[in-house]
Amino acid sequence: MTPPPSSAAPVETPITAQKKGIQLEWVRRASVVVGVALLFIIFSVLTSSFYQPANLLDILLQSSINAMIAVGMTLVVMTRGIDLSVGSVVGLSSMIAASLLQGNLVLGIAAGMLIGVFCGLVNGFLIAKLKLPDFIVTLGMLSIYRGAALIYTDGKPIYGIDPLFRAIFAGEVAGIPTPVLLALAIAVLAFLLVRYTALGEQIIAVGGNEEAARLSGINIDRVKICVYAISGLLASLAGFVLIGRVGAAEPIGGTGFELQAIGAAVIGGASLFGGEGNPLGSLVGALTLGAMQNGLTLLNVPSFWQLVATGVVVILAVFADQATRRRK
Amino acid sequence: MTNSSQNMQLQGGDSSSKPLLELRSITKAFAGVQALKGVDFDLKAGEVHALMGENGAGKSTLMKILFGVQPPDSGTIAIEGHGEVAIDDPRHALALGVGLVSQEPSLVPQLDVAQNIFLGQTDALSVVKRGEFRARAKEILKPLAPRLSVTTRVSSLGMAELQVVEIARTLARGAKIIGFDEPTSSLTPAERDGLFALIRQLKGSGKGIIYISHRIPEVYAISDRVTVLRDGLVVASRATSEIDPDELINLIAGRRLAEELHHPIKVDAGRGGSEALKLEGVCAAGKLYDINLTVRPGEIFGLAGLVGSGRTELVRCIFGADRKDAGTIFVNGKPLDIRRPSDAIAAGIALIPEDRRKQALVPVMDVERNFGLANYGQYASSGFLRLKQRRKDIGRYIEEMAIRPRRAGVRIRNLSGGNQQKVVIARWLQSGARILLFDEPTRGIDVGAKFEIHELMRRLAKDGCALLVISSELPEVLALCNRIGIMRGGRLVNTFDDCSQLNEDLLMKYASGEVALV
Repeated sequence: MTPPPSSAAPVETPITAQKKGIQLEWVRRASVVVGVALLFIIFSVLTSSFYQPANLLDILLQSSINAMIAVGMTLVVMTRGIDLSVGSVVGLSSMIAASLLQGNLVLGIAAGMLIGVFCGLVNGFLIAKLKLPDFIVTLGMLSIYRGAALIYTDGKPIYGIDPLFRAIFAGEVAGIPTPVLLALAIAVLAFLLVRYTALGEQIIAVGGNEEAARLSGINIDRVKICVYAISGLLASLAGFVLIGRVGAAEPIGGTGFELQAIGAAVIGGASLFGGEGNPLGSLVGALTLGAMQNGLTLLNVPSFWQLVATGVVVILAVFADQATRRRK
Repeated sequence: MTNSSQNMQLQGGDSSSKPLLELRSITKAFAGVQALKGVDFDLKAGEVHALMGENGAGKSTLMKILFGVQPPDSGTIAIEGHGEVAIDDPRHALALGVGLVSQEPSLVPQLDVAQNIFLGQTDALSVVKRGEFRARAKEILKPLAPRLSVTTRVSSLGMAELQVVEIARTLARGAKIIGFDEPTSSLTPAERDGLFALIRQLKGSGKGIIYISHRIPEVYAISDRVTVLRDGLVVASRATSEIDPDELINLIAGRRLAEELHHPIKVDAGRGGSEALKLEGVCAAGKLYDINLTVRPGEIFGLAGLVGSGRTELVRCIFGADRKDAGTIFVNGKPLDIRRPSDAIAAGIALIPEDRRKQALVPVMDVERNFGLANYGQYASSGFLRLKQRRKDIGRYIEEMAIRPRRAGVRIRNLSGGNQQKVVIARWLQSGARILLFDEPTRGIDVGAKFEIHELMRRLAKDGCALLVISSELPEVLALCNRIGIMRGGRLVNTFDDCSQLNEDLLMKYASGEVALV
């Protein structure tokens, strides 16, 4: 088309509004950086051990389980969903894996991962196909999967995790704990998924505007089911790290992990409004929460108070998200 | 601008009283678009002041600011008796005596008339004095609609009665300034006359009325003064009697578009006997009844009708966005089972929906990704995106369609309405669509870009696409379409193969059912 020269439409240069949006985004990012820096400074001043390399490595290790779950949570949150069942999936899949490990290492790992994926598929199916609210579905599943884990061994823990399994999921490579490497690899893969694949873009599209995605012919149900399945899979891997480190599997393992993961995802830049988020950011989010808990422990703050602190930080992060991203 | 504000001051001569309402230098920008660029507007007691302008000229934004839905970026609002005010929310606006009768009444269908009139006026903890409310509601309604019972459930009321309840609701709070936002868009002419009588009555009792419309005859029938907005600026503000209708059209639409509307540029009508899209007996429970129509390649078929007549429902049904219950859709002569949008897309059908922001765009994504939204089949191989190819293709459209800014990486929400619409059209052209369903294609688009979109649509028709176009702007339908169908109450009641004898007034009458079918 050759637009008639006289119809040169007034080209709006949206400098002011664009600037405003960018500024808010920077304020939010900067507040995370400043918050983390403050945490490190405060804890380094108050304790003599916080900034020691050994302790910093410890923080990385302690945060890795949450980081793995948070990557899956980030993808779910990006579709404007939420997965409250992840902690129970950790418990159930690690129990199944632990029970089968004793006979066959590969079987144990495969079964644990399959259970994780299956749990996610059930969540996704109920949410996408039956159009049930994600919050209620995954809250119900939180109870069901936990119940299943308890029923499986009648509430008893499983001791004696295979040494090779422990070496894989809780060992070290060149002085770096494998859980840290695993979390890093997962986050990078998820980042590439979002950036370079059709599914990744469709995740953003579904979360950014579900109706527009649907009217563009995107299979919304498939996208949703996929992210819940990924979330379940990553929860099962986190479960492996958990039992690898502890050396035993408990049916109540992973209790309360969902809040930590949501917190890490939101601190890392995932928006509960959907459409925005970064799997690499969730690493930062998990580290922030991990550093805080580590520092509080070093300061001898009772663990009950740490629960309170975690809740406060998560709510603050969500508040920042709402304040900077709310649109008319 | 300066001229018009001087004009306004001179106009003030007819009554020396201070205006009820004075807006000064109001500006407002939305994510990238300067919707209002310094607008002055005032209103006197006992006056009907019409506010005109095309979709996207800034009328709605100005009203949203006045009724506290959004704050202005700068500028002042002064209300008689309150001085300069900052209006926080619609509740606050009501408390200041500013009420709005919106296009779609915001009433609670499950409650009765009296309850709706006093909605939100009761203290949460106090006992609701139902009898007292009913008596007061009756009193307020007496001059407006003496026959309307205050105990009727609102869900059983028609559009005209809903408006009466909305008016009563603003009066119940002592509103002195009442805005009407396109109040006639879903009224029949008889109902419209009733509304006008009511407005005159309100005017007589000293209220100030802001009347928003893009229907020129109505503005002459009801208003004392008219202010025209175009692209966020006041282009004229004068006594209605001092402007002649032709000038008013020019002021509203700009000369180029006005010429187009005066001298329709029609593409050659459809080629031969082939049928790109054919509907036979399409029904959707409660929404569509036995729709039969045919659109040929190279043809622009217009759908006219009142709001709620089933036009949007029909195109959504064709596209598979909503279910149909009976009937067959033929594409290029073959019957097709369209159950979801992806089926329609595979058959070469595209929907350019009426609400771009809610239905067509993902605001957080950039231009390129929004363009690719319907084209993952082309741009993904075994799951991975072919980003280079996509970047190249959108670059071509940006050049060809003159999309501004030229960068594919800007977030789509920072584009103007016209440029967003071009991206949506580009998406569907890339998908290979040959049947395009346009629902209000120029809504929220500034005047210059409107003409470009029209030209683009004509070019598509010339290239052999079949276009089905819904527009509430009747001049647009008349200027663009080869054939026009009229919908009323979910039925396609009439089809005109020759539009040369049609005019706006006639279309309105057909749409409302005041003229018997041919």
